[in-house]
This record gives sequence, structure tokens and C-alpha cells, in this order.
Amino acid sequence: MTFLQDPEFGDRIITLMAALVLVLQIAAVGQRWLVSSIRIFAVQSFLLAAIAGIIAYFNHASHIYIAALLTLVLKAGLLPWLLERLVRRIQIRREIEPLINAPLSILIAGCLTLVGYVVAQSFYHPEETSVRAALGHNTLAVAIALFLIGFFTMLNRRKALTQVLGLLSLENGLFLAAISLTYGMPLVVELGIFFDVLVAVMILGILVFRIREAFDSMDVSKLRKLRE
Amino acid sequence: MILIWLLIVPLAAGPLAFFLRRRHLMEAVNLTAFAVLLCLATALSLQVGRSGPVSVLDGFFYADALSALVVLLSAFVALICSIYAIGYFRHDESNGVFQEGEKLGGGRAINKLREYYTLTPLFVFSMILVALANNLGILWVAIEGTTLASVFLVMFYGRETSLEAAWKYAIIGGVGLSMALFGTILTYYSAHQALGTDTLAGLNWSVLVGNASQFDKPTMRLAFILILLGYGTKAGIAPMHTWKPDAYSEAPIPGAAMLAAAVLNCAIYGLVRFYILTAKCLGPGFASHLLILFGLLSMGVAVPFILVQKNFRRMLAYSSIDHSGIMVLALGFGGPLGVLGMLLHMTFHSITKPLLFFCAGNVQQQLKTDLFREAKGGLIHSMPLTGAAFLMVTLAVTGAPPFSLFLSEFTILRAGFSRGYLVLAILFITFLVAIFSGFLIHIANLVLGPDPGLPSAETCRWKKSSVVGLALVIIVMGFWIPAPLFRLIQGAVDIVTSGR
Repeated sequence: MTFLQDPEFGDRIITLMAALVLVLQIAAVGQRWLVSSIRIFAVQSFLLAAIAGIIAYFNHASHIYIAALLTLVLKAGLLPWLLERLVRRIQIRREIEPLINAPLSILIAGCLTLVGYVVAQSFYHPEETSVRAALGHNTLAVAIALFLIGFFTMLNRRKALTQVLGLLSLENGLFLAAISLTYGMPLVVELGIFFDVLVAVMILGILVFRIREAFDSMDVSKLRKLRE
Repeated sequence: MILIWLLIVPLAAGPLAFFLRRRHLMEAVNLTAFAVLLCLATALSLQVGRSGPVSVLDGFFYADALSALVVLLSAFVALICSIYAIGYFRHDESNGVFQEGEKLGGGRAINKLREYYTLTPLFVFSMILVALANNLGILWVAIEGTTLASVFLVMFYGRETSLEAAWKYAIIGGVGLSMALFGTILTYYSAHQALGTDTLAGLNWSVLVGNASQFDKPTMRLAFILILLGYGTKAGIAPMHTWKPDAYSEAPIPGAAMLAAAVLNCAIYGLVRFYILTAKCLGPGFASHLLILFGLLSMGVAVPFILVQKNFRRMLAYSSIDHSGIMVLALGFGGPLGVLGMLLHMTFHSITKPLLFFCAGNVQQQLKTDLFREAKGGLIHSMPLTGAAFLMVTLAVTGAPPFSLFLSEFTILRAGFSRGYLVLAILFITFLVAIFSGFLIHIANLVLGPDPGLPSAETCRWKKSSVVGLALVIIVMGFWIPAPLFRLIQGAVDIVTSGR
């Protein structure tokens, strides 16, 4: 079992999982069903928790275990459960009409991934040949791509709940950037961020619910009374 | 120890109000808490002015002159708004405003009041935490906290338009702040290589500022752009300002006044902290150019919307966009004079802006509309006090002498000329003059003119005392700045220009 101590092995596993996270994100862009988008988010968060756990294991950084556990409980468990409950309560299962159709959206997501790689390139210092620099490089590119695609999803979707999902996957990108670049933020900061994300999703959930009651729709493009 | 009390007082006042059943008890708790908070903030400012930075809990909370100034301003705005809020909500309650929104998640008046008096102290708590957090990550958490606590204030009345405004505010704020978080992560990364793997102190301001020159430069450059976009969204600088007119016109007046006069400072404060790091790491040029660009853009965006504005509450929001633009521009001009101008502007703006909101609130409650078109003018006959104060504060907020904002805008102008930004300084004056004339025409039409025969209003002593009290402060500040306050501002200027 020597490979379990080999940092290079850890690095490969992490790169593989980061790639899976990216694939899931692109799959979410082409997704038409609200519930499956939520489940994709849950799986993605589960993978992120695993990545955090592996980084913690290979670097003996015990505080990342806590971040991994929190991700697992909150983002892969509690939040998807809350969101699915919300979907059931407002009785919308199908999510249609993105502004740009699915094939083109996926193409754009691919281009954004490229942008992620170009941006990450500017942080790459070839003189640092350690495993850590290489590791940071690959996962950072994925993280930036997640961030950009999340951004694009928010612009592209008109349903209130999918905008919340976009915001969450954007947040996932940030988490990946934080653990891959610096092995996580200080623990208190990490806890604060988790708390904020949880509260934000609850508040947005309440808002979605009230918008649905007031306008009889979740379509945020109907929110256009406040104009100059 | 004083730092801990500054945080405990608002944090305790919120939940306490939640368990109270009577309206006047909630009002009393709120008022007492903010009065105590202002005393504590004054004590902190004096202490910092006398003996330098204070820190507790191994440097987890930290206050220098810059944070003490922001704490002082937040506490002042919170107190003055809580005095006005008493009169404002009593008026709302007696007019049955709360019933309108009932079917859309509003509720009985007492529950709405409880919501306000519980959330406001928590809102103030996050603002104080922004200024006192040593760790830049906690700073981010606290700024996000101000957004979360105030979303419910924006949708307070439960109208369809309030929901729309709250949705925009939450989503645009959320995206903006996630950019700021990315910027914070990258700052941590660029510092990481200089500081090693010390996990907690690695984001502490007091540690970072001493080592900023060794940070990784390309990373810091990207980090500052993200921070500017992120905290700029929160400060409402163009083109990320679109949530502001909606949120400011839908929130109840005391909440909107706090957003405009106190949260704005917190966002600018976050920006300033990162500006100091960036300027030390990359030299001042890079950050300055970006700040000047966004500052002038915000002022320029505000001009046409103020000139043709139909709604006086939205006009206040554009005035706020204009003022955050001025502050960002002043920071961009830089140098001791530019930074002095910015901090003076921040101080005077926080003192002046709430009165503008209070007057607009009085007018709105009297006329039951916020459109210029439906107001017939001549308000000075039915509301002599509000009318006079409205005219005065319009002059004050647009920077007419002898009011204090003239002093700060003039300082910024001098900074612009002395740094050689001739064309930009002239553009700055042009925008100021355009906003001045637009504002004055609208408000003069609203307040002056023949008597339309409205019944006399203005009986509430809470509303009257907050308007008169604040007007007196504004007049006095036009001629005299207390020496300890000016020392505090100078201390803050030293921090921004020299990093210590």
C-alpha cells in the first residue's frame, strides 16, 4: 500500500476528480430538469468534499478535514434536500426556456473552460517544479472555469431557483480554488463562509417562495415593474 | 475589552427585541442599544486617537484609526435612524400601511415591527464586525452578513415591487461578493508564498500589511480587480449599481438611510484595506487608474438619471451612487490630499445623507406617493420644518458652501489638480455642477410654490427631533470639526498612505 503515501498518486486522483467536477458542471448547463440540476449539484459537492479530504490526507492538514465534512453535510446533503423540498412545495419539476439553447450553451461552457486555463496559466511559475505548484495549476483552471460557468448559468436561466443553483456552483468554484491554491482558508473564515452560504440559500428560498406566490411564476423576467 | 462590548451590545439587542411583546419596549431596547453603542464608539475613537491601535483575543479583533472612524460613523447613523424609525413606523402603523402587504407575506403590524427591531441590530452588528475584524476573510463574511441581514429590510413592505427589489439586491449582491471572496482567496495565495503556511495569521491585516511588498505580483493584480468589482458592487459604483435605486426606494426609510450612509462606508472600507495592500505590492499606479475610471463612471452614470428623475426616492439612490463614485475617485487620485478628501467625504456624507432620507420619508408619508408628478409643490406650507430641512440638506448633499461636503469635494479637487489630472478634475466639477442643478430644481419644485391646501402635518416629536437634531449637527459641522475627530481622520490618512 505504498502508493497511499505517494503525493503524486494523490495529485493524480485530485486532478481526475476535478475533471469530473467540471464535466458535471457542463452537464448541468445542458440540463432541462430542475430536480436533476439539484442532484448534479449534490454530486459535485460530494466530489469537492472528497477532494478536500484527499488534500487533507496527503498534506496532513487536519483543519481541511473539517471543511470537507462541512461540505459533505451542508452542500451535498442539507442544501440539496432543502432545495428539492422547495421544488416539491411550489410544484415545478420541469425547467425550460433558457435564453440560449442547450447545444450552444454547452459550447459556450467549453469556451469558458478554455478561458479558465488561460487565466490559470498566468499564475503558473515553471521554476516551482514541486508537486504542489502543478496541482494548484490544474485545479485552479477548473475552479476558474466553474466560477465562469456558474456566472453564465445565472445569466442564461430565467427561473429564480436555477439562478440560486448558479450562485451555488459559483461558490463551489471558489471552494475548489481555496483548497487547491492555499490548502483552505483559515478555519474560522471557512466556517463563516459556510454559515453565510447556508443563510443565503435559506433567504433566497424564502424569496423564491414569495415570488412564486405573488407572481404565480418563478420566471424572474416577469420582475420588471421597477424601471426608470 | 471595548471591542468586545461594541460587538456584544448590538448582537444582544436583536434577539432581545424578538422576545418582547410591546411596541414601546422594542423601541426602547433599540434606542438604548444604539445610544450605548455610540458612547462605546466614541470611547474607542478617543482611545485609538490617544494611544494607537487596539487589539484583543490574540489580534482577532483589531482597531486602528481607520476602523475606529468607520465604527463611529456606523454607530452615529444607527442611533439617528433608530430615533427617526420610532416616529416613522408609528405613522405607518396608524395609516394601516402594513395591511397592504399582508397577503404577500406581510403580517400584523407588531410582527413587522418585531422583524425590523430584531434585524436592525444584527445588521449594525455586521457593520461593526466589518470594521473590527483583523482577518480579511472575516471582513468578507461580515460584509456578506450585512447583505443577508438587510434583504428582509428591503422586502419589508411585502409588495410585489419589494420582492423584485429584494431579489435583485440578493442576487447581484451575492454574485458581487463571490467575486470579492475570490479576490480574498487570491490575496491569501499571493501572501502565502511570502508568509509560509501559518494558517490563521495569514489573512490578518496586521500581518499582511508589513509584508505586502513581497506578495506575488500577477496574483495581486487579479485579486485587486476582483475586489474592486466585488466590494464595488456593494458600494454601488457603476456599472454594478443597478440594485441600488430599487432597494433604496423599496426599503423603509430608516433601513434605506442605513444602507446609504453606513453600509456604503463598510464596502469602501473593505476596498481601502485591499487598496493599501495593492499599492504596497504593485505601486500606486495600477490601482489608482482603475479607481479613477470606476469613480468617474459612477458620477457620470448618476448625472442623467438625476436630471430626468421622476421619483424622489430613486433620486436619493442616484445621489448615493454619485457619492460612492466621488469617494472611489478621491482614493484613485491618492496622495495624502486625495485620501484626506476621501475620508472627510465619507464622514460628512454619513452625517448628511440620513437627513435627506428622513425628509423624503416625511414627504412620502404625507403625500402617500414618491413621484414628483403627483406632488403639487408648496410643501413648505403644510410641512414648514421638513420643507426647510429638505432644501437645506439638498444644498448640503450636493456640496454647496458653507456645508461640510463642499470642504471635502474641494479637497478632492485640489488633490486632482496637484496630481496633474487636469482634464479629470474638470470633468469632476462638471458632474458636480450638473448634479447640483438637477437636484436643486427637483427639490425646489417639490418644496416651494403656492400652497396647494394640504392639511398641516408634523406632529410627531420623534420625527421632528431627529430632523432638527441632525440639521443642527450638519450646520455645526459646516463650520467646526471637533479636534479629536479630525485627529482620527488624520490618523486614518496616515494608515492609507503609509500602511501604518
